[in-house]
Amino acid sequence: MKILRVNMKESAVRWESVPKEYEQLGGRALIARLLLQEIPPACDALGPHNKLIFTPGLLGGAAVATAGRLSVGAKSPLTRGAKEANAGGTAGDALGKLAIKAVVVENQGQPKRFHVLVIDGDSAELIPADDLAGLGTYATADRLQERFGADSSVMSIGQAGEQLMTGAGIATTGDRDQRSNHAARGGLGAVMGSKGLKAVVIRKPLGRAVKMHDEQLFRTAAKAFAQKLITDPKLGTKGSQHLYGTASIVGAVNEMGSLPTRNFTEGTFEQSADLRGEKLRELMLAREGKVGTRCMPGCVIACRNLFVDESGKPVVGTVQYETIALVGSNLGLGKLDDVAAINYLCNDFGLDTIETGAALGVAIEAGLAKFGDFDGIIGLLKQVGEGTVIGRMIGCGAVTTGRVLGIRRVPTALGQAMPGYDPRTLKGNGVTYATSPQGADHTAGNAFGARKEVNPLGVEGQKALSLRLQIIAAMLDSTGLCLFARPPIIANPQLMIDMINGIYGWGWKLEDYDKFNRDVLRTELEFNRRAGITQADYRIPEYMREEPLPPHNAVFDVPDSDLDSIFDTL
Amino acid sequence: MAVDIEIFGQLLPGKPRRQTFEIQGRAAVRDIANALGLDPEEIGLVTVDNVQSELDDPVQADSRLCFFPYVSGG
Repeated sequence: MKILRVNMKESAVRWESVPKEYEQLGGRALIARLLLQEIPPACDALGPHNKLIFTPGLLGGAAVATAGRLSVGAKSPLTRGAKEANAGGTAGDALGKLAIKAVVVENQGQPKRFHVLVIDGDSAELIPADDLAGLGTYATADRLQERFGADSSVMSIGQAGEQLMTGAGIATTGDRDQRSNHAARGGLGAVMGSKGLKAVVIRKPLGRAVKMHDEQLFRTAAKAFAQKLITDPKLGTKGSQHLYGTASIVGAVNEMGSLPTRNFTEGTFEQSADLRGEKLRELMLAREGKVGTRCMPGCVIACRNLFVDESGKPVVGTVQYETIALVGSNLGLGKLDDVAAINYLCNDFGLDTIETGAALGVAIEAGLAKFGDFDGIIGLLKQVGEGTVIGRMIGCGAVTTGRVLGIRRVPTALGQAMPGYDPRTLKGNGVTYATSPQGADHTAGNAFGARKEVNPLGVEGQKALSLRLQIIAAMLDSTGLCLFARPPIIANPQLMIDMINGIYGWGWKLEDYDKFNRDVLRTELEFNRRAGITQADYRIPEYMREEPLPPHNAVFDVPDSDLDSIFDTL
Repeated sequence: MAVDIEIFGQLLPGKPRRQTFEIQGRAAVRDIANALGLDPEEIGLVTVDNVQSELDDPVQADSRLCFFPYVSGG
């Protein structure tokens, strides 16, 4: 395998062999190690010393069902710490097939000048791309796919990333009509913009396959894994994810009093029935949209949708739970059409819908629009694309918006907006938001589960639960596995070990796998420590400890001592 | 006693989404699920009055009881 180094200051690319210390790393694990090893932790996240990393997981390119996710990482301008965000699409698979362990983008070009990195087989080049400046991610991907092939993978930023807005993510093209998947979190789009990199194109690798150390071992484990996915009641074609998508949980989260509503002031939303996955499916089937589509070729879960308007015209693919929560109920909007319209604009500007939904909620609380007023809200959002001062404020996320407007109720942890579970009534997620080195991120360890393993309203057991989930999440993010595919691996980790050993021949045992997963967190925590992040930063906002959340009137009351000691047994 | 029931997702086909259900004496969630013709093996999550509950938890009069299939947070 190899690493592609891209120096934006010199407009130069260089291939290098993989250093020994990176050999047994991929995805989030590689990002954490590379950040700790190669960048000054206290550096300016939008300055020349930060590095932007694109990397497949360890299973990338090997045609393992659901394991083609792309990890993107850097020091985050939002959290100030190590950041990994991953996305579906085709790029992770393409990098894996090309045996590219990572693309590392270094230094910075001239301000306001942009380039595109084109990877074609074993060659790569930077080409000027000032003609793409100012375009949204959809138009950028369209133009680049016209030039480099409709089956090429495009990773791009929109206006938000170009203007260094810290709520910006990176869009990736996906399978067929899944045009827009996002490595959304932590402001990585702003880091890409700061480098002067508008897009990365990977021409579809033809006739390339991952070399196997022990093909039989790999194939046996990969086949067993895929069969488990298909037969799992949560995940197969009769499962909720396939039928109703990630929106299948809207009703449950609302019933549990955890659905962010009107800037996290309530836990249930009176119009939530119109935002449920059942409603989404009903609408799309009636309008001849699509449900049960894939973001990655070969995915057997297929949780996506192509949302169309009343006339059957595509609006956005896909409308997901977190977006519904943050730009739907959190803004007092009870129509999926309104959510889809906001979702499209966020995707095009290259904005994280979670961060932007939270910022808009704060702005509404300050009086810039009204909850439930779609026209007022979309008017605010459009200013991001126009680059007005208000637009830049929204585009920089919830913390910036709260500071500018003097609002104290800002739902963030470590500078990053909370996703669609209020931590006062799902306290395990509160522990994850507070303590994860990634900041408030449900994918870092989501305690929302099917059975009542730990009382979500109680304090007891939350610390241990969150730690266990954070270790699992580190594995998922480092192997390229979709988080929905976790049940078979949790039930039988040997499947993952056999797939890894089959590809690489590392001879991992269970203890090696466990150490690998834990080392991800250890490395990120050490990077964050050196970046100046202290225990006092790993906290839930003070108002959530004092302001009861209806209908349970619960506060976040997991003691600081639990938060401070969560990694003692890591 | 009367209990307000709502059924979600793929548990729903062939059953009313919402109904008021009369039960006699003490009842657990599982008893009501059985009476409604729901397969406990297909029930992934239960809430009683907005509180996540288990199949063997008791149900009080005038409660709101929701049955969900297996779901997973994304």
